[in-house]
Amino acid sequence: MGSFFDTHLLSIIVAAPFVAAVLLLMVDDDARLTIRWISLVGSLVSLGGSIQLAAKYQLSRGGLQFAERYPLVPSFGIDLSLAADGWSVSLLLLTGIIITTGVLASWTVSHRGREFFILLLVLVAGVFGVFVSQDLFVFFLFYEIAVLPMYLLIGIWGSRGKVEARGPFAFVWKRFDIGGREYAAMKLTLMLLVGSAAILVVIFAMYFAAGGKTFDLGVLGAARYPREMQLWAFPLLWLGFGSLAGVFPFHTWSPDGHAAAPTAVSMLHAGVLMKLGAFGVIRVGMLLLPDGAAWWAPYVGGIAVINVLYGAVSAMSQKDLKYVIAYSSVSHMGVVMLGAATMTVDGWNGAVYQMFAHGMMTGLFFALVGLVYERAHTRWVPAMGGFAAKMPGVAAFFVLAGLSSLGLPGLAGFVAEFLVFVGAWQSKHWWWALPGIIGAWVTAVYVLRAAKMIFFGDGPAQEFHDLKDARRTEWGALWALGACLILFGSYPRLILDFIHLATNEYLPKLSSAMQLAQLP
Amino acid sequence: MPTAADLKPLVVDLLLLFSALLVFSVDLGLPHGRKRGLGFLTALLLAGLFIVTFFVDASGAAFSGAYVGTPWATLFKRVALAGGAIAALGAVDHVDRHYPARQGEYYLLLLFSLTGMTLLPGARDLVMFVVCFELMGLPLAMLATWAKTDDKQGAGRWAAEAGLKLYLVSAASTAITLFGLSFVFGMTGTTSLAGIAAAPMSPLLAVGMMLTIAGMAFKVGAVPFHLWVPDTYQGAPTPFVAFLSVGPKATGFAALAAIILIAFKGNQAQLGSLVLLLVVASIVVGNLMALPQKDVKRMLAFSGVAQIGYMMMGLLAGSQLGLGMLLFYVAGYVATNMGAFLVLEAIGPGRAGVPLEELNGLWKRSPWLGLAMLLFVLSLAGIPFVVGFWAKLYVFMAVFQAGQGWLVLFGALMAIVSLWYYLQIARAVYMGEASAEQRPLSVRPALAAAIGLCLVGVVVMGAWPAPFVESASAAAASFFDPR
Repeated sequence: MGSFFDTHLLSIIVAAPFVAAVLLLMVDDDARLTIRWISLVGSLVSLGGSIQLAAKYQLSRGGLQFAERYPLVPSFGIDLSLAADGWSVSLLLLTGIIITTGVLASWTVSHRGREFFILLLVLVAGVFGVFVSQDLFVFFLFYEIAVLPMYLLIGIWGSRGKVEARGPFAFVWKRFDIGGREYAAMKLTLMLLVGSAAILVVIFAMYFAAGGKTFDLGVLGAARYPREMQLWAFPLLWLGFGSLAGVFPFHTWSPDGHAAAPTAVSMLHAGVLMKLGAFGVIRVGMLLLPDGAAWWAPYVGGIAVINVLYGAVSAMSQKDLKYVIAYSSVSHMGVVMLGAATMTVDGWNGAVYQMFAHGMMTGLFFALVGLVYERAHTRWVPAMGGFAAKMPGVAAFFVLAGLSSLGLPGLAGFVAEFLVFVGAWQSKHWWWALPGIIGAWVTAVYVLRAAKMIFFGDGPAQEFHDLKDARRTEWGALWALGACLILFGSYPRLILDFIHLATNEYLPKLSSAMQLAQLP
Repeated sequence: MPTAADLKPLVVDLLLLFSALLVFSVDLGLPHGRKRGLGFLTALLLAGLFIVTFFVDASGAAFSGAYVGTPWATLFKRVALAGGAIAALGAVDHVDRHYPARQGEYYLLLLFSLTGMTLLPGARDLVMFVVCFELMGLPLAMLATWAKTDDKQGAGRWAAEAGLKLYLVSAASTAITLFGLSFVFGMTGTTSLAGIAAAPMSPLLAVGMMLTIAGMAFKVGAVPFHLWVPDTYQGAPTPFVAFLSVGPKATGFAALAAIILIAFKGNQAQLGSLVLLLVVASIVVGNLMALPQKDVKRMLAFSGVAQIGYMMMGLLAGSQLGLGMLLFYVAGYVATNMGAFLVLEAIGPGRAGVPLEELNGLWKRSPWLGLAMLLFVLSLAGIPFVVGFWAKLYVFMAVFQAGQGWLVLFGALMAIVSLWYYLQIARAVYMGEASAEQRPLSVRPALAAAIGLCLVGVVVMGAWPAPFVESASAAAASFFDPR
């Protein structure tokens, strides 16, 4: 292993899925096994690279490591500049795990499989790129790449959610085919791009305010922006990135989108893509616009509280299994934003750890939901029951994911939520911890109830005659994600050390802004 | 008296004129049924001229400053020549199939129109502007009617309407421009742009300015002068529409830039609000009118109106950055929009209008054509890694730098509105089901090559925009400082 691999590690991680996608373009459409293996190898290279990165990252030195820089548009100061900090390390690892298990979980996709894997890999290359970009413009580029393939992925391979048209506006449901995959794909794309439009304006504002020479995140971060500008720019970034993170009331694309998307896409989208939004709010919004962030923090936290409670209550009232999990994502992303808004060490550690833990957990959830849907041909929870008799493995993993979701100590979800609540308690708004804890309690109600209704009790009914447990590659996906939940839940330092390092470096930038900010 | 030195900046345009005459002579010598080669000859000549522009030095002033050869003019020439070559290549099969007896004239008129386009960006005199505009516009009106009665599929019914609308509108706009110019000349006593810039401001001159700019806005098809666009696009032969939708627009912008930023440069504040009005109206009307369209040609026509609005943002900025990025936008738009129309030609040759359903299941009938169409509409919508993204981004940057930050937000939001109807095309291509009688498509080699060239342009400029942006910036610098 020469030094080439070390100096170009980040490029390799980002480029591997993309190269695999290009290779797939040349493969024949019918060579299904080849297509799957190329996709799997592409994701494994990225996963291996991420593990290598975690192993080689020097915790004692900290800061940005493995930096690479290639000029892209020199006249505007746009560079393809990559580097990893502690947060990147943990989120790259998450992305690597999710894409690998996602490919394993969609091993059986046969309808236009080649295009499916091409789009999936392009999307994930964008995700990897966002986490390591050190140039704001390239950050935005990768962000767009990660968002856009969703339209085709959901529109072509998605499924129809079961939505009941009720109430005075029932005609709207029928008119727009709400719950349909094309509706969901269009809604998701347009809503997320409205967010991008807001982000673009702020990027320009920062670029020109910092001298109009470079988009380098370090340079833009060192510049002091006028307070007035920060006060209008931060909410634009918060809502822009926040719409991808499912911030209330811009979360409505998420249940529809996740419910309509095919398994691997739901896994990636809920598991990783929503984290891009939260990562953007913290990495770009809070770190580059500290004054604005400090002033707006109470609102960010307040909305996050709504997210936690509203998401949980909505999940409780859903009857379509995918909608249950999708709303639980909205609730859990609220925890991430809550942690970010506390602006304390524990809060931020918890926020990033929650991104990591929720990614694993929701990835596992959507993999399981996909399995259940494939075998039962329905996602209507009230119709199910007693599935555990036919698919004990799936039932066991569902309960495991559920326990992590409700924050059982020893599983990854607990560590994250505990840190966030501690952070909230230390912040100026100690009471934020209370709705958070209530949200965790409601989670317990709907997760356990869903598990009971699907897997236990009477049944399975006659119509579910071909229920089978997971198969070979699917076992791989389930075991990998389940093992991660237990591993990172019982020994959080594996990841927390990286996160803590970066938090400690970045948070002091906000301390002076915090003192300046007046409570509204 | 013009001297031989006067001809140096015009060498490319003169060669283009000779090419037209060459095509004309060859046409005379060819027997009936053997004229298909004329299209290839035209494309070859234009491609050759495109290469020639890189090797000849066409700098300097001609005719006492009525024409100035600058990198700005040269770059516009390249865009026009490249567009013309692709247009000729894409038209070969269509023209040969539908108008076998009238092939020579088609290419001859195309070349004459192109001559007007290549001459205009360097023009610095009002008379020269009018002459170039007419040289460009009249052949286009004739070409729009080309699908006359000898078309068996019924396109001919729409051709007369297409041609007449284009002709009447272009005649009316010329009349308005000339009327405005008579005021300008009357108040300043000169037709040279520099002379007009030096003259003092007066109310009548202001009226002249407004009328002149309104006339030009007709030519580019900006709102509220856009009503001819959809009908003409629908009725005219598709390969010709591919050219019509980009060539005159590019040239119109060269003229608008020269008139607003050179002749009337002292009045940019007042004219700015006029241009701003055109920008906002074009983007809003173009995008909203495109939403309900069921015919792809009409949809692209309205989307073109919106694109004009975005291009005009570069003009609004008025800076070197703005003009450079306008030029880059135009270059990208030529490749993108021509490509999109040529794909339509490959799908439904010879028919007036292409209903959206015709695109259903295109990915299955021809995977590469489907991918090409996807990339073209993504580029029109401004999605990363195809040229349209950089184009929009750079004009946004220019208007932001010019202090109009809200326009960026407005433009970006309207781009998302546009995504709705562009995605309708993508949806039809990738998610629609082809009906039973729609069989796999085979595209003729010439048309495939033309689409391929557009695709290469869209992808290369999208993946590696730096060299194109640099040369567009340099060209814009030469616009302000010809020496």
